Amino acid sequence: MSKKSFGNRILTLYIPLGIILFFLVFPFYWTFVTSIKPERELYGPTVTYWPEELTFASYAKLFGEFNFLLPMFNSLLVATITTVVTLTASTLAAYAFTRFDFKGKNIFMSLFLTNNMFPNVLLLIPLFAIMRSVNLLYTPTSLVIAYATFTIPFSVWMLTGYLKDLPSSLEEAAMIDGANRVKAFTRVVLPVLMPSIIATGVYIFIQSWNEYTFAVLFTNESTRTIPVTLKNLIGQLGVQWDLLTAGGIITIIPVCILFFFAQKKLIEGMTAGSVKG
Amino acid sequence: MKRLLFICVVALISAVLFGCTAARNSADPNANNSEDSTGSTEENNSEEGATITYWYWADNSEYSQLMQDIIKEFNETNDKGITVVGEEYPWDGGGYSETLFTAAIGGGGPDVASFKLTSTPLFTANDLLLNLDDYIANWDKKDDIDSNIYDIMKQASGTDSIYLMPWNTQVLYVYYRPSIFEEAGVEVPTTYEELLTAIEKTTMDTNGDGKTDVYGFGMRGATGGQEPWGSFIHARGGSFDDLTSEASIQGMKDFIDIYSNGYAPPTASTDGFNEIIANFKSGRTAMTIHHTGSSAEMVDTFGDDVSAFPFPAGEGQWTSMGDTENVIFESSQHKDAAFEWVAYLAAEKGQEDWTVATGNVPVSKSVQELDFFQDNEFMKASIEGMPFAGIVPIKDTTTEWISTIWPNTVAAALLGDKSAEEAMKILQEELHAE
Repeated sequence: MSKKSFGNRILTLYIPLGIILFFLVFPFYWTFVTSIKPERELYGPTVTYWPEELTFASYAKLFGEFNFLLPMFNSLLVATITTVVTLTASTLAAYAFTRFDFKGKNIFMSLFLTNNMFPNVLLLIPLFAIMRSVNLLYTPTSLVIAYATFTIPFSVWMLTGYLKDLPSSLEEAAMIDGANRVKAFTRVVLPVLMPSIIATGVYIFIQSWNEYTFAVLFTNESTRTIPVTLKNLIGQLGVQWDLLTAGGIITIIPVCILFFFAQKKLIEGMTAGSVKG
Repeated sequence: MKRLLFICVVALISAVLFGCTAARNSADPNANNSEDSTGSTEENNSEEGATITYWYWADNSEYSQLMQDIIKEFNETNDKGITVVGEEYPWDGGGYSETLFTAAIGGGGPDVASFKLTSTPLFTANDLLLNLDDYIANWDKKDDIDSNIYDIMKQASGTDSIYLMPWNTQVLYVYYRPSIFEEAGVEVPTTYEELLTAIEKTTMDTNGDGKTDVYGFGMRGATGGQEPWGSFIHARGGSFDDLTSEASIQGMKDFIDIYSNGYAPPTASTDGFNEIIANFKSGRTAMTIHHTGSSAEMVDTFGDDVSAFPFPAGEGQWTSMGDTENVIFESSQHKDAAFEWVAYLAAEKGQEDWTVATGNVPVSKSVQELDFFQDNEFMKASIEGMPFAGIVPIKDTTTEWISTIWPNTVAAALLGDKSAEEAMKILQEELHAE
């Protein structure tokens, strides 16, 4: 009986799980393997699933003559600042939208929603002209502001959903016990909201980390971010696969670390409000 | 409370960083990231010591370094103290032109940029490019560039003016295998009729099993095939301007006959760049049409057993030209300095350095005369093709015509679903639709 149930488990759980994992992991594996193949093997006629000869030359070239640390620093700077700015603005905005009644509340919320309905590319030329006129073009600040135009509205909606599910009686109790509105928000609401804030933060960070359209226009050689730098490796007549895959592997490392630390909170945040009772 | 404190500290750091970047921007007007360096807000109109920005794309990191080296040499050697600041942008599958357009129309953008002919109407319609007529008329090296190249620049803008400074080209020629020619007993064709005969004769059953082993011509029926196809149309005296003329239709009939007589691989109607190159490299075809971009791998594969000749003349002669040019923006405050730079790339040391290292075909006649180009048979075939090289007319319809209309219509004609006349009528109407 136990043998049969073990067989069932293999058939119904482990094999499907293995297939799904294979589909998920193989592209990353292939990217990594490509990055450590010597050029001769990479462009050779025979496909090898593990390099006959390991080389980290593409990584050395990436950080040496390609100076990949600079775009990494720029991306980290932009993504971190965008996340902090967006979270600060949208948490406060979402709190106001859920806890206070004021004129035009619904109009503002609708505006935030419609903002996300426009393709980002429509904002390109106006934002470019604005950045240019305020002398912010080609600085990380211009990217942070550009990203905030679409991350803040989305985050406000996301956090509003979480906050609506949070009973206002929690902070009311704190206020009855003598806390003022600010204290109730920081001591009671924020800690409970933290998983949702982290979930939203991860979303903002990844959006800013991977964004290309604004980045290519609002940066120059000294402020380039990772997506633009990697795209430089795709030429008109060919692709530098060794450098591109090495860059790809390096790029996903910070995101993986972020997920590693935020994973537990992230799941809590994503499922918040999913069960009512 | 700790969390609040943490958020405040992070916010403070952010504010400091913002301040730093903004301060850097305004405090260093000559830095390569400054708006002043684009010239659009520059007050100083003097060309002596001018700083100009140059946007370009590079196909790989070697070319990127090469361009930076050329810029460095120009900055060090030009006698007017001009400083070029090179900014590399991704090619992005052609998205480069859109990025350039957005920046230019947004009031920013560079002084000079590398450019593609096909983008010309969009930029000239918005008055973004500087008219180079006077500059070229007064340029001492004006005659160093073939007049046909200037004509192509004019054709691209749809006017009698030149807005693009030629830089480098890829001119299509015919690859052939000398050993197969020898086996078939044919000489290198010097006329269009001889080419058609050579295609027929080099189609061979080499092992006597009744099946064709070598096809005379590696035909490209998929996207991009309009370029070699155009040579057949023009060779009969036809042209893109009137694809329904008797001569154009005869060219189309020749093209169809090559396929229906079995002188091209059966897959030709869907063969693209990769297939024609693979077929030629595997010895399945005796001739195919491409440019110097593939010559290194051909030599790697065949050694001495590969050579090239320009597409021969019939009633007319035409071959397709790929291109990269440079443009100066109307908004530039340093137009004279900008012209010095594009002239350096077109006919001076910059031309030689770039074309020798990249293997692209130079536009400067004096650079073409260098041994490096004259000793290379593929370069020579390209240079010989330059006087009759051309482009598919640039119209609003061109992109759709190239990507969809041409491959679908020609495939139908090759497979016998449409006659040459019917196919050419469609191609004419779709290319020249208002």
